[in-house]
Amino acid sequence: MAIHRGVSSYSYQNLIFDNKMNHRDFIRTVREDLDTDGIELIDETFIDDYPFLSEEFEYDWKDTIARYNMKSVTMDIYLDVLQFRDHVMNHEEATERLKRDIIIASRLGFENVRCLAATPVDVIEAALPTAEKYNVRIGQEIHAPLPLVVNPDTVNRLHFTAPIDEVDRVIEMIERTGTKHAGLVPDMGLFQHSLTPIMFEFALRSGCPAESVAFLKEKKGTMPDADLKVIMSEKFGEETVAKMARLITTQGSAKPEELLKVCPYIVSIHGKFYEMVEDPTAPGGYYDPSTNYAEIFKYLKEGGFDGYIDSELEGQGYCNDLPDDQMQDEREQVRRQHEMFKALGAV
Amino acid sequence: MPKKTTVPGSLKNVTCPETGKIIGFQFDVRLPRYRGNMVSLINGYYVNVDGVEYPQDKIRFILNGKAPRTFEELKSAVWEHWNYRDAATLLVLKDGGLEKGDHVVNATVSNFEQYGYMPGRDEKRVADGGEPIVANPVGVGQSAAQSFVLTIE
Repeated sequence: MAIHRGVSSYSYQNLIFDNKMNHRDFIRTVREDLDTDGIELIDETFIDDYPFLSEEFEYDWKDTIARYNMKSVTMDIYLDVLQFRDHVMNHEEATERLKRDIIIASRLGFENVRCLAATPVDVIEAALPTAEKYNVRIGQEIHAPLPLVVNPDTVNRLHFTAPIDEVDRVIEMIERTGTKHAGLVPDMGLFQHSLTPIMFEFALRSGCPAESVAFLKEKKGTMPDADLKVIMSEKFGEETVAKMARLITTQGSAKPEELLKVCPYIVSIHGKFYEMVEDPTAPGGYYDPSTNYAEIFKYLKEGGFDGYIDSELEGQGYCNDLPDDQMQDEREQVRRQHEMFKALGAV
Repeated sequence: MPKKTTVPGSLKNVTCPETGKIIGFQFDVRLPRYRGNMVSLINGYYVNVDGVEYPQDKIRFILNGKAPRTFEELKSAVWEHWNYRDAATLLVLKDGGLEKGDHVVNATVSNFEQYGYMPGRDEKRVADGGEPIVANPVGVGQSAAQSFVLTIE
């Protein structure tokens, strides 16, 4: 039983956008930078002509995985329900897409697909025969602001369409069907407790007054987001609050100890982070100022989690306005996160 | 997230090969996200050059080696993918094109790729094309295209 390390291609999105990293570079980089084998792929980033996966890409992907002794862990799949434009995709059509994605993942050697948190549970259930036939697990992403545990204090802050008790519905389906081919992919943004320095710096560059940013830094987390928004609107005006809306409302939706509830169902994990900061108390060590990974690892171990946590760097959006040489160094950020993972006991 | 979605060096005037007249200008655009999506999901483009907005019926979309298409025509491209690393070309019809030199270009895509079902909004988007195509106000961490200076040599 162990926590294994991997990387989602999401982490290197700017390198990929700038055509500085193709699928081969991605796989090689994870091996050479991090000395690990876990690979998570955003399907429509590298699969040209999706969903018509070419044999050339299939063979090249598998050969590159073999060359560097890697493992295709999870393929991230999507659900664009307006694809047909003349109608909203119904659940049967969504199931067809999911089944196709499972087959693509299987051809590329992936063990799992990660579907969106907003994928209806009946769609997952309808695709189970395909998942079983191809031996690919369907992991539903559990992403903030979905809670892991619904209780009377749970506030519904969902900005995407999913029932607030989505986690319970997936678990109910798994228990009822007895399937071994469905589960959860929790995103560690669930446990985000603070905003990070790059977010405040971006707000300042975006023209938010320094007092407003200082106020946000001080008050965030001390009161409900809605109240903070009202107070900040009164103090700093609607325009400033509109610019900072996402920062005001960004927060976790679960506690690390709640991982114990979902551990048996976890397919793989999204190691969401925005930036890694040098630990002043431990030279060469790094920590995540937004999320307490030590607590997360503690409960993953206690819950007996055996699988991959894949880096998912998401700080780029707060740096993309900077000159190229000041933008986030994606490879360095991921390297730092893996130093932390190793220090916390990942293999 | 803001990204450099207009491609430097791509702005140029377009001459009709038959008449020899300049019929407009074109430049290249990239998808502003981290993945590709179906061409059918491209609902339109807000295009503003030097403060002048160009309406949808003056814009043509060029991708995958196909002839220029209107956004209405893109709706039927339901099995055609806009590969993430490919640039598309926006052809803007304007007699005489643009003058030589620098131009401030903003091109913001209206893209119907989305995070699963959005009841209410989905139906509206199918019925009437959804919300008007305007450049959204930029919030911290939100997506909207930045304006860039492109040059006609």
